[in-house]
Amino acid sequence: MTEYTWRLLAAGIAMGLGAIGPGIGVGLVGLGALNALGRNPEAKGSIMTYMILAIAMAEAVAIYALVVAILLIFVTKG
Amino acid sequence: MAEQKPGKKIGCGLLGCAIPLATFIILLVVIIPTSIFGIISGAFGKKFIPAPTVELPASVVFHLGPLPVTNTILTSWITVVVLILIALLVTRRSKLIPGRLQGAVEAIIEWMYNFCKDVAGPENGRRFFPFVTTIFLFVLLNALMNLIPGFGSITFTNAEGTFPLLRGANTDINTALAIAILAFVFIEFWGFKNNKFGYLKKFFNFSRGLKGWGQLFTGKLGKGLGNIFMGAIDTFVGFLEFFSEIIRIVSFTFRLFGNMTGGEILILILFFLLGFAGFGFIQIGYLFEVLVGVVQALIFSGLTLVFATMAAEKHEGEHTEGTK
Repeated sequence: MTEYTWRLLAAGIAMGLGAIGPGIGVGLVGLGALNALGRNPEAKGSIMTYMILAIAMAEAVAIYALVVAILLIFVTKG
Repeated sequence: MAEQKPGKKIGCGLLGCAIPLATFIILLVVIIPTSIFGIISGAFGKKFIPAPTVELPASVVFHLGPLPVTNTILTSWITVVVLILIALLVTRRSKLIPGRLQGAVEAIIEWMYNFCKDVAGPENGRRFFPFVTTIFLFVLLNALMNLIPGFGSITFTNAEGTFPLLRGANTDINTALAIAILAFVFIEFWGFKNNKFGYLKKFFNFSRGLKGWGQLFTGKLGKGLGNIFMGAIDTFVGFLEFFSEIIRIVSFTFRLFGNMTGGEILILILFFLLGFAGFGFIQIGYLFEVLVGVVQALIFSGLTLVFATMAAEKHEGEHTEGTK
């Protein structure tokens, strides 16, 4: 296997494994937000706002993995 | 708009017939170009449309003295000009009952102001509002610029090859880094301004440890050891907080850069791999990118606001709240 093949494989593994945690995390945030919304439908505005904020914080970790994968494919050309 | 003809329905709301206008805009900007381009760039068009290449470092267009000007800098200049134009148009002749553009801008600004006041309290909200809204509008317009149809198609050719003349500014890591550093300076400024040098006590908290050593020497052995232990934990936690403040710059940068670059690559892949066969998917992907742009702008400004609020908290119980 050439080095380029290894790089592609590494990019795939980086993004794949790196998306497990944030996927679960975003799901948990959604669970908390839906629970809170069910208990208190009047607070919909602020629940939605803070849910979006928390989802973006959790998703940032997946974005770090994406950046590593992109770097592996596009920047490290030899 | 002084008098309506009798029998005509009075107005269509604040934005003036919003739903037909929005439908027209969405049709014009999203569906028609994406369909046309989907047909062209699929299997039919491989001959006359070159496959896209993604250059991560932005390509330099010209040099302004010693400084290189890249295509992302050109886009951010266009964004600044658009923002200044909108601001001038809206405030030049502001009416008490606003017209459409002024109404829309007022709605956005008022929503952002309420958001700042909700998160930061009434007085801090007023202080943080200008900078936070600037970040929001700048990042939002940069993200939307990247999605204008035909944006990256104007190319220029220099020694290394053919590059797009304009590229979304958020896909450049330098833009994200610049805004992140500005936000960091903003947060630290408000931390120091509200607490003077006591702000550093949050990070370098030696008081309990030193008290423990003092107690050790005056004979209270048990309490002394306990306070030394707690002092060590305080130092460690303080160091961790200091480190996480610095790392915030990195996390802001990569969150914005990764979302925007990933979005650009996603759009390229959607168009060039799916072609017209993915008719629904291309439009869904495009609208998803618009949503990601809005959300990322909101996240950046919202997180700056939250961290500035946390940094600007005065020490509890020290003195009564000042008049300002």
